[in-house]
Amino acid sequence: MTAAVRISHLNKTYRTGTVAVSDLSLTIEKGDFFGFLGPNGAGKSTTIHCMTGIAKPTSGTIDIFGIDAVKDYREARRRVGLSPQEYNVDTFATVTQIVEWMAGYFGLHKAERKARTEMLIDRFGLRPHAKKQFRELSGGLKRRVILARALVHDPELLILDEPTAGVDVELRRDLWRYLQELNREGKTILLTSHYLEEVERLCRTIGIIAGGKIVKLGPKADFLSTVGGLEACYLTATGAEPDHIEGAAA
Amino acid sequence: MNAPAAISQTARQPVMGINWVGLWTIIRREWSRVMRVPIQAFIAPWLSALMFIFVFGYVVGGRIATIGGHRYIEFVLPGVLMLNVVNAAFLQSTSQIYFQRFLRYIEETLVSPLSYVEMIVGSLAMTIVRSVVTAIGILLIGTAFGATNVTSIVEFLFWIVSVSIIFGLLGIIIGLWANNFEQLTMLNVFFIAPLSFVGGVFNTVKMLPGWLSWIAYANPFFYFINGLRHSMIGFQEAPEGLGIAVTLSLVVIMSLFVWRLFSIGYGLRE
Repeated sequence: MTAAVRISHLNKTYRTGTVAVSDLSLTIEKGDFFGFLGPNGAGKSTTIHCMTGIAKPTSGTIDIFGIDAVKDYREARRRVGLSPQEYNVDTFATVTQIVEWMAGYFGLHKAERKARTEMLIDRFGLRPHAKKQFRELSGGLKRRVILARALVHDPELLILDEPTAGVDVELRRDLWRYLQELNREGKTILLTSHYLEEVERLCRTIGIIAGGKIVKLGPKADFLSTVGGLEACYLTATGAEPDHIEGAAA
Repeated sequence: MNAPAAISQTARQPVMGINWVGLWTIIRREWSRVMRVPIQAFIAPWLSALMFIFVFGYVVGGRIATIGGHRYIEFVLPGVLMLNVVNAAFLQSTSQIYFQRFLRYIEETLVSPLSYVEMIVGSLAMTIVRSVVTAIGILLIGTAFGATNVTSIVEFLFWIVSVSIIFGLLGIIIGLWANNFEQLTMLNVFFIAPLSFVGGVFNTVKMLPGWLSWIAYANPFFYFINGLRHSMIGFQEAPEGLGIAVTLSLVVIMSLFVWRLFSIGYGLRE
């Protein structure tokens, strides 16, 4: 069976000489809900950027549903929706424009573009804000717009880089339900988050990255069965201070 | 929240391998961005052209003898028109690329299935639209002064479109290179404005001091203005074939250079 994501020996060194990702190999099965954990600066976002075309890999290969994400980037990108950690929008554009333009870049024809945009605006509770400029929205509303934009072309693989950062409890729970529903329908989801309970609740497979390398990878059950659960595993794998690990295991 | 229904695959298939909808979306997005600042984009160049035509063409020009059998106002109009087309094209493409990088929404197109060529063509298409709208306004202003002539519409469109492409490409290069607003305006101040003024906007090459005339012939702006002037009033100081060759060479060389910048991700990808 073709994996949703197959990364082999990925390396990324920035022009400044910073090594962000080092010999990273990772496979995410089709239909999986994959939690990608790691401290700030560990290489999560860089890996995602290499997968989606925002960053150029220094070496290594990335296949998305068996398609080379560098050589056959157009075909690979059709299958991916990205909700990035930082807002990357024209802040003077309206909510409707942001979502509808993205559908346009993905080549959706007018009727489908309009229908998908309207539906996602309703689904994310953005109707009263549809004509507002992005810069006028609160943090939670901005996050919803970014999510709607990521979903507008109905991607098979959804990459969510800290989607619930700065989001209130109600929306977070609402979003969890929504993501679980999308995953049940067959969409593969890659989620990065600093909220371990979020990853524990949603993901089936977990990978931990530190210093640009995968340091632990496996089914969620393996993480939960160890003393101290996911938190202790995470702290151990990322080389945290011993007293922090002991605190988690206690 | 309920998950959305799956999208039909036919709704996103490119036609002839080209993402036409994506291309059109880039143009729509840029038109929307330009229309947020209509005074800056259109009214300012029209007003500036009006002042140039009135003061230099009408007031001062009324006291100048004809040039090649043409009234001075008719002679100066193509120069003023080209000056504004160059500015419109350059400003459109620099601001388009730079703001996308500055606000990071360039990433929207980078993660989408748009090819580098489609991104460049989409950007240039809007550059041409803005230049043509600017040109139409100035032609109308010229008409109000009884100074607008177009002897060859095909030739006229060739010059407007090809010069827009050249300065659109130049704007993309600067937009990719610049890291602040100061760098963005540098080329305009030190290169475009001086060369366009000595390229024959207000005078013929013969009017320049002898030692300066060779610079005029080495200045690509001279060929742009000379070509546009020929298409409008039939007056020329250099063979038009040479001007067309210079212009098309620049289009090809700069297109390849910009395509190369996009393909290596210069200023675009981390």
